[in-house]
Amino acid sequence: MVERQVASTGEFVEVPDKQVEDLQGKGHKGPTMQVKVYAPFKVYYEGEAYSVTAVNESGPFDILPKHRNFLCMLLPCDLVVETPAVTQTIKVSRALMHVKADKVTVFVDV
Amino acid sequence: MKRPLEILAEEKSMRTIVSLTSAFESLSSMKMAQTKNKVLISNEFFSEVWNIYKQIRMDVMFNFGRQVDEKPIEKELMILITAQGGLSGDIDQRLIRKFREHYDAEKNDIIVIGHHGALQLDQAKIKYNLYFDMPKKDTVNVDVLMNEIKRYRRSRVFYQSYVSLSQQVIKSLDLSEVVSSMGKIADLDTLDEEKITERTYIFEPNAFAVASHLETSILRLTLAQFIYDSRLAQLASRFKSMTAAKERSLETANELHTQYSRAKRALVDVRLKESLAGLKKIRGSN
Repeated sequence: MVERQVASTGEFVEVPDKQVEDLQGKGHKGPTMQVKVYAPFKVYYEGEAYSVTAVNESGPFDILPKHRNFLCMLLPCDLVVETPAVTQTIKVSRALMHVKADKVTVFVDV
Repeated sequence: MKRPLEILAEEKSMRTIVSLTSAFESLSSMKMAQTKNKVLISNEFFSEVWNIYKQIRMDVMFNFGRQVDEKPIEKELMILITAQGGLSGDIDQRLIRKFREHYDAEKNDIIVIGHHGALQLDQAKIKYNLYFDMPKKDTVNVDVLMNEIKRYRRSRVFYQSYVSLSQQVIKSLDLSEVVSSMGKIADLDTLDEEKITERTYIFEPNAFAVASHLETSILRLTLAQFIYDSRLAQLASRFKSMTAAKERSLETANELHTQYSRAKRALVDVRLKESLAGLKKIRGSN
């Protein structure tokens, strides 16, 4: 059983098996980047990831490895981090994303 | 002289106070350890955001996220961060003393955070404009406070800062100076890292919007940091005062115990003397 944590409530919820299977079926083997999603008192995710998906004023977007330096305000959304193990979804209401040299940092509640 | 039973009752109640203060001391110690740990974790977060802010700063004129055409109130807003309840030693009294050194009813408006500080102001017959409870949870929502700060030309925060378990200091800082001083570091080119500009970064929605948002965020984080620091200092002060109270009550209880032993001994001596006197009388009559 795989669990994901809901950022707004801190609760752990079960991820449906199908979603896990789909992700595993994708057989990600591409390059990864370092991702850290955190708030002042809580680290939601820290580690390797294939991609990060979020929403800003222009709409939904993905960050992949080798992305250009990027600084962006996020809109309230489900931030999706595709990690080698599982897809992690984190609900954010206010956040700032900073991308530099294959390192993605999402400051939640900023 | 008090009777032994009276002294014993006093000693008993004093021992209860020792247990109570000891329990409060343990509670403060536990809460302080938790809070200190959280403050340490949050410092990493704050310093990383500060670092980005330092690199993106375009000027050193911090304007609290106000629009250019917004006219602020020509007064200095004073924000007092105090404890919610009592039993925190003299830390709030020290803060109010420091605040009164700066306070001028004509030139200042007041926002007080924490019930104990509000009580102190009431006792000093100083009127405050707004009151907020000291946040209990980790997540501190300072948006309402931010809206008030934006209305004023200048804002000064009085808060309690944790130095060590035995030392907590009262600080008074001008908010705009705190924030713009960080910007000045960037202006002096003392940063090792590359500056964040439109040439080196992609901004979304645009550079100005991100910088403006970050300015507001930095103010929000600064206020939150002051609140966390005050909370830690208040717990340390409570721990210190509870330790002192426990030691004093323990000393008094021990003193009462000595008094009780003396009184009991004196009572036995009196009875012995009376018996001996009675015995002498009986012998004399024979």
